[in-house]
Amino acid sequence: MSQASSGNLSPGTRSKYRRPRRPVSWMGLLLGLLIGIGGGLGYAWLVDPRVEFDTQPWQLEPNDRANYIVAITLGYAYDGDLGRAVERLLALNPPGQVRGDPIQEVADVACRLATSGYVDNSSGLRAIQQMMVFYQLQGRSGCADNLIPLNQDSAVVVTVEAATPTPQPPASKTPTPEAADRATPTPLSVVVPTAVPRSSYVVAAIRTYCSTTLSGLIEVRVQDFNGDGIPGQAVRVRWQDGDNRFVTGLKPERGPDYADFEMQADLSYTVELPGQSDPTQPLVAAPCTTEAGQQAITSYQVFFRPSG
Amino acid sequence: MVRVLLSLLVGLLVGAVIGLYLGWFQFPVQFVNSPAASLAERFQDDYVVMIASGYLKDGDLGGAVDRLRILGVANIPAYVQEVTERYISNSRDARDIGYLVALAEGLGRLTPIMQPYRQVAPGQ
Repeated sequence: MSQASSGNLSPGTRSKYRRPRRPVSWMGLLLGLLIGIGGGLGYAWLVDPRVEFDTQPWQLEPNDRANYIVAITLGYAYDGDLGRAVERLLALNPPGQVRGDPIQEVADVACRLATSGYVDNSSGLRAIQQMMVFYQLQGRSGCADNLIPLNQDSAVVVTVEAATPTPQPPASKTPTPEAADRATPTPLSVVVPTAVPRSSYVVAAIRTYCSTTLSGLIEVRVQDFNGDGIPGQAVRVRWQDGDNRFVTGLKPERGPDYADFEMQADLSYTVELPGQSDPTQPLVAAPCTTEAGQQAITSYQVFFRPSG
Repeated sequence: MVRVLLSLLVGLLVGAVIGLYLGWFQFPVQFVNSPAASLAERFQDDYVVMIASGYLKDGDLGGAVDRLRILGVANIPAYVQEVTERYISNSRDARDIGYLVALAEGLGRLTPIMQPYRQVAPGQ
């Protein structure tokens, strides 16, 4: 009986029934791989994760993170190295990421600590004051500003013994009889009361701002009691390696009381009216970020007013 | 059927190896909310330097010791001494060494190796 008559046809040469069976089931292998990878990851992440080591500051829990930030500002308070402080603050962000403004975080942490028991001792209080100095110099603010006064003990207090006029004795009602052998009268010495030396002007306000168009500028305004500008007032700006003098009113379009000075990045400057005021606190030309997210250098507005 | 089971088993084994490699080495668990005691040594050292410079600023030895407690070391003076001597041995930044020497001295741990740096310590 032929195949045709039996109804059974032999498969063609390209039929799967003619091909030799593969030793591997790809479907089974793929399924096994997926399950294996899933199981391996589950074991490595959940059951037996790698022992924690090489922890970085950004991984710290909130309280220790706050302590780390306090330490950064303490370090800055001593060495004044802003670049180093910022570098340390950036280490509080995961690599390659910056979550928000690191200097504003200092203000936020200071705020949190100022409302906690951290300020119950002088050590904590001083630390928060150092944090306030740090972030205020960079133009930031926080609730600690309203809760804790800045420490003024860094100011040098100079006590001057002022000469006081010697009062003349009251005239006697009965004239003293003149003695015959009276010596030549000594001429009256006039004692002029000496006033305690004081500055004619004081720093009324220092404001900061961040702008790309006016980047790293110290704007000085010298005003009288009424807030009117005083032109021609000499101003001196000092920095580590030098100083510069200029006068107000040279840019009349900005007002008769106006003068400005452009800072170099990362240097700190003091401003004074030579012979008439004390220098300001150091103004640091620190990097800042504008509201539009652009990088610039912190600028300052310094207002001088007559003292008293 | 045996062929499928064998393939599944081989896939499982290979997949598990790949999964463990990825989970332990390539994408390990990243811990957050970690205590300062688990900080990498370089950051712990840097923290001690910062506290030491703070001590130079305010002279508050008690405050410095309190701040170092978060590192979880049993003997803080001995730890500061060890960090200071390590900095000296590794010729680290002289400024940082100066800070550390000042703190070590404040804690009564001034050793002969620190003496030369004491002269350059800030505030001395």
